Amino acid sequence: MKHWTETDFEQGLYGLKDRDAHLDECPECRGELERLTQERRRVAAQPEVSREFLEAQRRNIYRRLEEPRRNWVAWRWVISAAMLLALALGLTLQRSRPTAPAISDDQLFSDLSRMEQSAEPKAIQPLHSLFEE
Amino acid sequence: MGVMADRLEASLDGLADTREFGSWMVAEQKRIFLLCRRMLQDVEEADSATQDTFLKAWLALKRPESRDLDDPSKWVTRIAINTCLDRLRSRRWQFWRKRPHPDDEATVLSMAPSADPDAERQVMAREIVERLERALDKLSNRQRAAFTLRHYEDRSLAEIAGILDLHVGTVKVHLFRAVEKLREELHDLYFREGRK
Ligand SMILES: [Zn+2]
Repeated sequence: MKHWTETDFEQGLYGLKDRDAHLDECPECRGELERLTQERRRVAAQPEVSREFLEAQRRNIYRRLEEPRRNWVAWRWVISAAMLLALALGLTLQRSRPTAPAISDDQLFSDLSRMEQSAEPKAIQPLHSLFEE
Repeated sequence: MGVMADRLEASLDGLADTREFGSWMVAEQKRIFLLCRRMLQDVEEADSATQDTFLKAWLALKRPESRDLDDPSKWVTRIAINTCLDRLRSRRWQFWRKRPHPDDEATVLSMAPSADPDAERQVMAREIVERLERALDKLSNRQRAAFTLRHYEDRSLAEIAGILDLHVGTVKVHLFRAVEKLREELHDLYFREGRK
C-alpha cells in the first residue's frame, strides 16, 4: 500500500487531485488530509483587522455613497445661479442697447450699394491721387 | 399632501435599504478587505479597493434588475476581484508608485493569539503565514486570484471559474502553476518539522 506523497496532498488540497481508492481505504492519509485542511482554514482566518480601521473604512464608504447626491445638490445651485445671472445680464443689455430705428427698403438698398463702392481699403485711397492726372 | 407622503415614504425606503446594505457590508467587509490586500499586497490600496467594491455593489443594487441575487457573497467577491485586477493592470504604468510600508500594516493588521503554548513555535508559525502572503507577489494576477480564492476562501474550482469568468480547466492550470511557485512556502506551512 503506497501512501499519498507530499505532492499528492498539496494537489489534493488545491483541487488538483481527486480523492482516489487509496484515500478511501487508508485512514492515515485521510487523517493527514483532514489535518492539512484544518491548517489551511486556520491560516485563512488570519490576520485580525483592527476594528477602528474597519469602522473608518465604513464611514468613508457612507461618505462616498452620499457624494453623488451632494454633488447633484451643489450642481443644482450652480446651475440656478448661472441661469439667474444670465437672465439679469440679458435684461441689462436689453435696456442699455440703443433701439435701432426702422429703415425703409430704399434706404437699405442705397446703403448697401454705397458699401460696395467703398469696398476698397481706405488706406489705399490717397495713393489713387498720385496716378490721377 | 400626497406628494409629501410619497416623498416621506421614498426616504424611509432609502433608509431601510441603507440599513440593510450596512449590515450586509459589516458581515462581508473584513473578508473583502483581506481578499483585496492579498491581491494588491498593500493595505492602503486594499482599503481604497474595498471602498470601491462596496460602492459599485451599492450602485448595482440600486438598479431594479439586479435586486434578486442568488449568491450575494460570490457576487461581491467577483466585484472585488475585478476591481483588484483593474488596479493591478493599471499599476504596470505606475513605476513611481510608493512601496507599502510595514508600519502601515502593523497598525491595521494583527495576528490572533495562537493556541500553541510554545512561544517560539507561535512566532515561527506566524512567520510562515506572513511569508506565504508576501510570496503571493511571485504569482501572475490570475494565478494570485485563483490561489487566493482557493487557499483563503476555500472555494471550489467551479466557483472560482464563475468568479473569474474562466473555464474550470483554465483555473486548474493557474492553480497548478501557483502551487508550483509557492512550493517552498507551502511545504513549510504544512510539512515543517515539529508541526505534526
Ligand atoms: Zn495512506
